[in-house]
Amino acid sequence: MTKSNRKLYTKEKRTAFAFITLPLIGFSVFTLFSLVAVLVFSFADYNTYRETFDFSKPFQNFVNLFTNDTYSNAFFRSIGNTVLLLIGIPIGMVAGLFVAALLQSKAVKKGSKVFQVLYYLPAVTSAVAVNLVFRYIFNPSYGLINRLFDADIPWFSNEWLIKIAIILKNTWSSMGGTMILYIAGMLAIPQSYYESADVDGASPLRKFFSITFPLLTPTTFYIIITSVIGGLQSYADAQIFGAGAAGSQTIVWFIWNYGINQGKQGLASAASLVLAVFIMIVTVIQFRYSNKWVYED
Amino acid sequence: MSELTKKLTVNHVKRKYSAKDIIIKVVLYAVLVIIAFFTLFPYVWMLLTSFKTNAEATSVELKLFPEVFKFDSYVKLTQLKELQISDASFLRAMLNTLIIEVTVIPIGTFVAALAAFSFAKMRLPHKRFFLLFLMSGMMVPYAAVLLPQYRAFSAIGWVGNEGFSQMLPLIIPGFFGNVGMMFFFIQYMKSTPNALIEAGRIDGASWMKIFIRIIIPVIVPAIAAQVIFWFLGIWNDFFAPSIYLSRDWLTLQALISQLNDSLARRADIPLVMAGSTLGSIPMIVIYVFFQRYFIQSLALTGIKE
Repeated sequence: MTKSNRKLYTKEKRTAFAFITLPLIGFSVFTLFSLVAVLVFSFADYNTYRETFDFSKPFQNFVNLFTNDTYSNAFFRSIGNTVLLLIGIPIGMVAGLFVAALLQSKAVKKGSKVFQVLYYLPAVTSAVAVNLVFRYIFNPSYGLINRLFDADIPWFSNEWLIKIAIILKNTWSSMGGTMILYIAGMLAIPQSYYESADVDGASPLRKFFSITFPLLTPTTFYIIITSVIGGLQSYADAQIFGAGAAGSQTIVWFIWNYGINQGKQGLASAASLVLAVFIMIVTVIQFRYSNKWVYED
Repeated sequence: MSELTKKLTVNHVKRKYSAKDIIIKVVLYAVLVIIAFFTLFPYVWMLLTSFKTNAEATSVELKLFPEVFKFDSYVKLTQLKELQISDASFLRAMLNTLIIEVTVIPIGTFVAALAAFSFAKMRLPHKRFFLLFLMSGMMVPYAAVLLPQYRAFSAIGWVGNEGFSQMLPLIIPGFFGNVGMMFFFIQYMKSTPNALIEAGRIDGASWMKIFIRIIIPVIVPAIAAQVIFWFLGIWNDFFAPSIYLSRDWLTLQALISQLNDSLARRADIPLVMAGSTLGSIPMIVIYVFFQRYFIQSLALTGIKE
């Protein structure tokens, strides 16, 4: 390397580093530093209303979270609810895969685009509007469903029924997104596979289960991971649809309720830490096993 | 196309007219129409309810259409403040949302694209480390870092005041770029030929000039796709705005959710539905016009990762 070349290279390195400084600062401040702060808060008796901040009992928050009935009941309930509500993910995926397969089938060529655009509509509609409309539809006294069947189903007060309602709502809103991803995955499958299956006289169903579905595993995997990460952070369902009803409380709602609403920062920080660990585990699973589980050539 | 597949295709075309195929076709379309009905019905219900009186909307008697189409709820939406239904007016809330959109997106996108350029095309030392460092942030949920951020923003006086500065917690973090977007741009830039950049270097152009003059024009489709999604994300965001904003500074979604809250005792269902309708229409219009971008971009994200 000549002297002027080396000088150029040094300059390039400096410029390259300068170009990434803003994201580096943003990450350091808003993520890294915040995470460290959460860690510190979670070992403190930190209450913004009582204005306390001390470390005399460093594990008290975790003890409260897991053993003190006042908090642990709500905490375990919110974890249980969050996990149970994930059941909506496979349902939405099956629905999305089903419509994707229908829209990509040879029998449906005309209007396929129109249906596709329609089905994706819920994905661009805000969670607030969706939750408000479905809250009205499920309203026990004057909602559409109970009126239609002339029933008195307690959709909000029963902790199982409210989950069923939320899962139905989430299936409605997630189907379109999964559909688009599956259609994209299907378009990437080489036509020649189907041609040779045709030669063997395979039925459409056989083709779907022997070719399409196995080759869609990368898409399936991607949808599962992103939906689980999103589902673990669900908040609007509890806040708007459930209006804080016990059966709808999620982990993020718990963090909001104790940390922001009631000022118990220390306790809520401990819960944040648990959530962060959950999501990191899911992400690590994604990185570690994506090669094993996923068909890629 | 091989001889064999040609034959098969011809066979297929012939078979298209058999009775069995017609039945299958009818059944498939019927299924699609039923699903479309279920997808669209909540929108129709929302719209029809917004024209009803509250007595009609909360009556035990079920009616699809309102007795008379009333625009009262939409009129009420324009007078939220005067009627003391909410702290902010509807138009103001829409404007607040747009303020966040037009400040965060241009700056955040530029920062993300510039960083992506550095990662994709420049000799950045410790490139792998920095990339992993930044991407590890993507697995940290927002709710987990919310509390310290809330405390820090409170400490510098951005929380709980009456003025514009309560919007800053929603604006400032966006200026540091969006890592998901940056990753998307890196992937996209990998297919940009290096020759263009080298030509620019030989002409003595600075890296910034190369980025602005050469790279940005090439990645416009990627920018468009990502900007649309970010715009949608900010428009529909509810969690952070509902925590940080109050009074005149509410965003649209925070305001609409308040319509429900403030009326929790005696719900004004048509008003809530009118608010939801008006809050959803802009995105639906944008989506219908740009649906190609939405679908392509979503598909790309799915495949790339």
